[in-house]
Amino acid sequence: MRAVAGAVGMRAAAVLLGAGCLIWAALPAVHRGYATFVLAVTIAAVAAGGLRLALATVPVPDETYWPSPGVRAWRAFLDVMRQVPWEEGAVIGIAWLEVLHPSRPWHTAVLGAGLIAYLLVVHLAESDARLATLRPQARVLGLGAVVLALGAGAGMLPAAGPGAGSALLRLVAAGALIAAAGLVLPYVARDV
Amino acid sequence: MIPNGPGSPAAGTELELRWRSSRHARRLLTLGLTGLFIAILARRPEFAGLAAPALLLLAAGRARRRPPRITVRAKPTTRRVFEGERLAVDVAADDADEGSVRWRLHPGPEVAPVGATAADGRQARFVVTPERWGRRQIGTLEVTLRDRWRLAEGHATMTLPGLDCYPAPAAQRTTVVLRRLPNRLGEHPARTSGEGIEFSGVREYVPGDRQRSINWAASTRRGRLQVNTFAAERSQDVVLLLDSTSDVGQPGSSALDLALRGAGAAARAYLEARDRVGVITYQWGGASWLAPALGRRQVYRIIDSMLASDAGYSRGASFARLPRAALPPGALVVVFSPLLDQRFVEALRDMRERGFSMLVVDVLNTEPPARRRTEDRLARRLWRMEQDAIRFSLRELGVPVVHWDGEEPLDLPLAAHTRRPMAARR
Repeated sequence: MRAVAGAVGMRAAAVLLGAGCLIWAALPAVHRGYATFVLAVTIAAVAAGGLRLALATVPVPDETYWPSPGVRAWRAFLDVMRQVPWEEGAVIGIAWLEVLHPSRPWHTAVLGAGLIAYLLVVHLAESDARLATLRPQARVLGLGAVVLALGAGAGMLPAAGPGAGSALLRLVAAGALIAAAGLVLPYVARDV
Repeated sequence: MIPNGPGSPAAGTELELRWRSSRHARRLLTLGLTGLFIAILARRPEFAGLAAPALLLLAAGRARRRPPRITVRAKPTTRRVFEGERLAVDVAADDADEGSVRWRLHPGPEVAPVGATAADGRQARFVVTPERWGRRQIGTLEVTLRDRWRLAEGHATMTLPGLDCYPAPAAQRTTVVLRRLPNRLGEHPARTSGEGIEFSGVREYVPGDRQRSINWAASTRRGRLQVNTFAAERSQDVVLLLDSTSDVGQPGSSALDLALRGAGAAARAYLEARDRVGVITYQWGGASWLAPALGRRQVYRIIDSMLASDAGYSRGASFARLPRAALPPGALVVVFSPLLDQRFVEALRDMRERGFSMLVVDVLNTEPPARRRTEDRLARRLWRMEQDAIRFSLRELGVPVVHWDGEEPLDLPLAAHTRRPMAARR
């Protein structure tokens, strides 16, 4: 009973996190860059991802020589639900909705944290794993959070001068930050 | 469940692992690449930060060691079961110190899982039940070894051992006994007197008779010593003749299913009565046989022989060429057949003319579908008349034909022939 409640809770958390990230990235509404279309597709992707998790334990009907149209349709539906990468679509859509807004680095950093949490919870829900499974990754996730915050900080730095070169410089700084994080990674990722 | 002898540890099978990124890793990669792509295109460093946790997780997970192979031990609790019985398959993975193991069972044809078909952990147990008799494959086992960070998955597939599923025997307690029995010690009272326990009459005492067999009451009445006589106890040879040329009806209750279940029940009943029982399986292209023998093991030998008929077409001997050992003279032949194959019916007539005492258990429980068209109705009627004619001709030859629906115990249709010894008419 406890396991079932845990599994249901994890699936619900995944859907809520996906919906939260979507709302966070979509508001305030913008009307350019196919925003409405991308929003609709992303809503569908988040909902379908949730449905996929809900249907994960539903068995596929047995193979028969002449399955009824209903059985065939149900099997095709389950196939589509399980094969299509809904979460990847949702992530791309959410990032696209975020980039349509003017630069808001702290907002993007929160979205980044939300997205990584969404993907981790989806993973836990689909593999019926407990939260403790992520314990060995805690240090790396912590390092990632630091880099995320530093990236947002880099985005908030005022431009050194007008023109594209200044923005590029900030980007290079962020890239260097990720590279530096990669260098310390072997020491951080050592097993507990 | 049929015992399989003392359990022994299963031998390990080394399986090559095919490693690939997990779905989780692909999602993280999507997030990382999307973030970096947008950061470069839009020149917004905060998106590089958004990509960082996912990329760092992937980089850290990539550095981990992945075993190239895994040793899997799979052992079913038994290799022989009856239809509908359950058996468990215990699986265990060695060399999986790091990471988690996920098992997924893909049951073979006519094998149904009982409970979950997926499990986590280094050891797992799957319970399955074969739905229909035959030599079956339990199925295949898919092993997925995930690294500790669950970013990569190693996949391997293993074919589970085969399984002999025996037909669930029907209920039969009574046996048909021939009037004329061979001169061999057994449990059926014969018409001749001997050392049995069934009283057969009284006769005058002759020197050498046992004193304990003197019937004092009769001796007092007649004035001379009288002794009790008893029926001799004999055994008979029983040959089960199985027609596996026609398998009609719904799977699970088809003619061949009923024939096998009935033959299994008859083999048990006659072997329990200390008769020698053999089997002849008639199939396309010939017949396979097992000579009559005694003992409990013979039940399994008979069923194994019948299961071999599941293999389909096989070339063997015809009835005329069957050796004396397979069809001993004076044997009772119990036939399980839907009587659809004309050549089989001819073979039965031939055997009857050669003097064998026979009893046919008709296991046909299906008919051509009822349709509205006149031609179809006419064809159905002709078919019925033909079937009636076949059964009538066998009865005319002195071969009793009883119908069995597979639901009731076999004792009911055989009741008319089990009450008294069956005469071997010539």
